[in-house]
Amino acid sequence: MTATQAGGTPPGTSSKSWTVRTRDRMSRVVPQGQVLPDRQPAYMSSWIYVFGVLTLAALIVVIGSGVLLAIGGVTWWHVSSLGHFVNSLHLWSVELFFAFMVIHLWGKFWMAAWRGNRALTWMTGVLAFLGSIGTAFTGYLSQTNFDSQWISGQAKDGLNSVGIGAFFNVLNPGQMLLWHVALLPLVLGVIVLLHVVLVRRHGIVPPIDSEGADADVEDAR
Amino acid sequence: MSRALLLADPAGRYINAGVIQISVTNAVIIGVMVVVFVLALVVPFPGRRHHDRTDRDR
Repeated sequence: MTATQAGGTPPGTSSKSWTVRTRDRMSRVVPQGQVLPDRQPAYMSSWIYVFGVLTLAALIVVIGSGVLLAIGGVTWWHVSSLGHFVNSLHLWSVELFFAFMVIHLWGKFWMAAWRGNRALTWMTGVLAFLGSIGTAFTGYLSQTNFDSQWISGQAKDGLNSVGIGAFFNVLNPGQMLLWHVALLPLVLGVIVLLHVVLVRRHGIVPPIDSEGADADVEDAR
Repeated sequence: MSRALLLADPAGRYINAGVIQISVTNAVIIGVMVVVFVLALVVPFPGRRHHDRTDRDR
C-alpha cells in the first residue's frame, strides 16, 4: 500500500472532496510547529507577556467553577457552605480574569499590538473584552438576591436609554441565566479560541523599537 | 438612627471629583492593577538571557 492510499489525497493537491479541502485549510491555519511552540522570541522574557496566558488560566477556573455551580443550581450558594465556596471561587476567578485581561490590554495597547497584520487579533481581543463584560453582567443578575434585583433595575433603565432594551429583558432572570450559562459563554469561547489561534498564526508582536524584530523571531526559534 | 440610614450605611465610601464618582474600593483595585502593570514592566523575568549582538551571532 502506498502512502497515498493509506493517507488519502496528498496535502497541497486540489481535491473535489470537501473533507480534504477542509483538512488542508485547517493544516494551514497555523504555521507548522506553532500551535504549541516550545521556544519563543527573546523579547518575550518579560512579565508583561505573561498576562495573556494568566487571563486564559483564570477563564478555565471561571468555566470550571461555573460548571460546578450549574450542578448545584443558582440558589445552591445560599444554603450550602460548599456551594458558597464554589460561588466565591467563581466570583474571585472572574475578578482575576478581568484584572489580568485589563493589564494584558494595557500592555498590548502601549506596544501597538495591532502592527504587522495583527488587526484581526486586536479586534477579536476587543470583542472578547466586550463579551466578557456582558457575561459578567448577566452573572451579577443571576445571584438570586437583592443585589441582582437592584442591578437589573438600574440596567433596565440604562439599556432602555440607549435603545437596546427591546432585544432582551434584564428583568427576566430566566432569560439572563440562560444567557449567562449557555449563550454568552459559547459566543465568548468561540471568540477567545479565534483570538488564541490568531496569536499563534501571526506570532507575538515584537517590541516597537526592535529593528527587524520579526527576523529575530526566526533566529530565536 | 433611622431605618433608612441603617440601610444606606454600608453602601461604602466614595471619592468625588466633579463628575467623577468612584468607590474607594474600586479606586484601590485600579491602583493595585497599575502597580502590577508597572512591576510587570520593570521586574526582571527569571532566567532572562541578555541577547546582545555577540550572543546572537554565536
